[in-house]
Amino acid sequence: MLFNSIEFLFFLPVVVVLYYLLPQRFRWLLIFASSCYFYMAFIPKYILVLFAIILIDYTAAIWMEKLQGKQRKRLLLLSLITNIGILAFFKYFGFANQTLIDFFALFGREFKQYDLGIMLPIGLSFHTFQSMSYTIEVYRGQQKAEKHLGYFANYVLFFPQMVAGPIERYATLGEELRKAQPLQYANISAGFRLLLLGFVIKMVVADQLAPFVNEIYAAPDHFSAWQIALGLVFFSFQIYADFFGYSLIAQGSARLLGIHIMDNFKTPYFATSIGEFWRRWHVSLSTWFRDYLYIPLGGNRVGKWRWAFNTVLVFGISGLWHGANWTFIVWGLLHGFFLLIEKPLKPFANMLSTFLLVTFAWVFFRAPDFANAQAILKGVFIPNAKALNWLDIWTPLSALGLLVLLEFSYRKQRFDGLLNQFPSWLRWGIYLVLLFILVAFSGTQKFTFIYFQF
Amino acid sequence: MGKQLLIRIFILALGLVLMNWVYKLVFYPKDLKQHSPEMLELWKQQRKSDILYFAESSNMNVRDTDVVKKSISELTDDLLIHFKIGAVNKPATHAGIYKEWIKNMRAPFPKAVIVTMNLRSFGADWRHSELESVLQAGVVMLKPYPVLANRFLLALNAFDNKTPAQREQEMLREWEEVKFDFPFKVPHSTVRLWDNAMANGSFLLPDGSWDMEKITLACHYVKSYAFQIKPDNPRLKDFDEIVLFCQQHKIKLIFNLLAENTEYAQQYVGKELVQIMRYNRNLLVRRYSKKRGVTVVDNLELLEGLDFSDQNWTTEHYGYNGRLQIAKQLAKALRYSK
Repeated sequence: MLFNSIEFLFFLPVVVVLYYLLPQRFRWLLIFASSCYFYMAFIPKYILVLFAIILIDYTAAIWMEKLQGKQRKRLLLLSLITNIGILAFFKYFGFANQTLIDFFALFGREFKQYDLGIMLPIGLSFHTFQSMSYTIEVYRGQQKAEKHLGYFANYVLFFPQMVAGPIERYATLGEELRKAQPLQYANISAGFRLLLLGFVIKMVVADQLAPFVNEIYAAPDHFSAWQIALGLVFFSFQIYADFFGYSLIAQGSARLLGIHIMDNFKTPYFATSIGEFWRRWHVSLSTWFRDYLYIPLGGNRVGKWRWAFNTVLVFGISGLWHGANWTFIVWGLLHGFFLLIEKPLKPFANMLSTFLLVTFAWVFFRAPDFANAQAILKGVFIPNAKALNWLDIWTPLSALGLLVLLEFSYRKQRFDGLLNQFPSWLRWGIYLVLLFILVAFSGTQKFTFIYFQF
Repeated sequence: MGKQLLIRIFILALGLVLMNWVYKLVFYPKDLKQHSPEMLELWKQQRKSDILYFAESSNMNVRDTDVVKKSISELTDDLLIHFKIGAVNKPATHAGIYKEWIKNMRAPFPKAVIVTMNLRSFGADWRHSELESVLQAGVVMLKPYPVLANRFLLALNAFDNKTPAQREQEMLREWEEVKFDFPFKVPHSTVRLWDNAMANGSFLLPDGSWDMEKITLACHYVKSYAFQIKPDNPRLKDFDEIVLFCQQHKIKLIFNLLAENTEYAQQYVGKELVQIMRYNRNLLVRRYSKKRGVTVVDNLELLEGLDFSDQNWTTEHYGYNGRLQIAKQLAKALRYSK
């Protein structure tokens, strides 16, 4: 089920009302059933993949707690291999196959094409990473194994964040899901505020920028250099608005149930360096890679060359996590490389240079292949005399203006905290204006959330 | 707490009413022009016409070689001295769309409304066409809710919005599963079986190889016309709503049952297919003309094969002679109707 659908607008209030009507001991059942229903609206049979992940990690964690030494490690490995194996099977099989075909073709040899005829279960990268974080924490002794299968299942399945994060840790979300949540006005009010802002950012900003960007990437040779450059800038904001909007809706939906979900974005385009950008962008993924890959590899406490290798490796894997395509790997590697050169070039790093580097890297994230990325980059720098197409720029520019205005307003403080400082007439004025903007100016072509594909 | 909540709900409700008013006044015309331009055309035609003609591409296409390029509605208009006919056309439309347009006509209403009744639009081929999502998006702004709500429904794509693949699946399922139940014998029990039979060498070239051009056309005739209009066909419900609206507002209603290429249908597939077309035609004429008092101008078998512009496909695109004959039929019906 998509957040930006009429079904969700009915589904969420029903779940919220039932949640508060039910006694605490039955609420986990409601969360479980509603999360399954939410997920099964996409491709029903793929819920079995999630059940497999849940059962394996639940059992592994319980056994792990009882065992020590090598046996404990073996169980962790079993859990990790299963999770990564499932991810590899669904997400990377076709990519690996195609890479081998291309590789063999370089030597004039043929490699067989295998078509498994399967689709990637939606949000698989998110729930496998979330579930893996739990088993790693249990292995490290930093998390007690959850004995209640229902609560653990809800941690992996929790519908507001199951398909595109934030990738929560058990210590936070797991505990939140266990707590008795009384009906509180503050939670309902904060939930609605987050939902309103999230829907505005997704449906008005991201969905109004998307058509322009799609046109540019579909046929770059039809557009002039400035139009393509504008398209690149628009995509930087589109992907942000798309993912940030999703995260806010996820937070808002969870908050209506009294459950707090972490902030996944902290006004990332105000970052003055790439390092800072990654502390503000998709925070739950960055911290996952930091805690479970970068630090175990040695983190900062290694030699210069090893550190450089670790940094590039982590970002390369982060790229691969996003999508099974070399373009995503290049996107990740570029960010790793930017981080390496950032230290010596620190005096030149500022908000604009960071934004330009990030925008440049997004080309490889957005382009379906290298030929398209090349055409886009060529189009920015080489004037195109044949450029005939004209796109409406005022609608996306207005949407962008709205986002910039919002970003400036809450850059130092969270949106709901900021609103609390205002007198109620002003607060309600802002709600009504945002509601009007949402209802009257949302994009009319519905686009699914970009991060759903990961 | 309760009082505060009530005040907030009241403010929200008041705000929504105000927003709807501002939106209708300032932004709605632009959105309507973008998403439902036919409605503006309809209101324009309403101002300058006595009779409105609703059609799909049959009123937009002419044959390249035609000297007179006038459409059916224009030719009908020429034949009627006392009435002015205005047309609202959109390719691939059907009664489900016409009914939304008709319900949104502004008073004073036209003296009469002519609605094309395209036999193919009742079949799975048309009902599950990939164009359907676009057509449905075009009428969301016309739904009987506050205009601001319609705008939001459009943004949420809250209409019959399916991907082309989903629609194709529905169509294939219908062709495969729905069995014919005619009171006469037909050579195959489903479209799928009939199509398969036609596809397997029904036409041969002199050298014994398959004549793919003829086979493709024969298969297409089967897919376009081999269906049985059953009481749950959504097009019937759409036409019923049009009838009801026109009766309630005392608007003379004429259904223009379009001519189909029965000659080629018989030639390529066989007399059973024409028999099916006649069966469906009879059902429509009986339902609307005899039971509901609507004038149904039956043009189904009016034209010969060569009167159709598209000789290698099933369409309701006619050459000048075809258009003129249909126009004459319509003019006659308008002259003699009360």
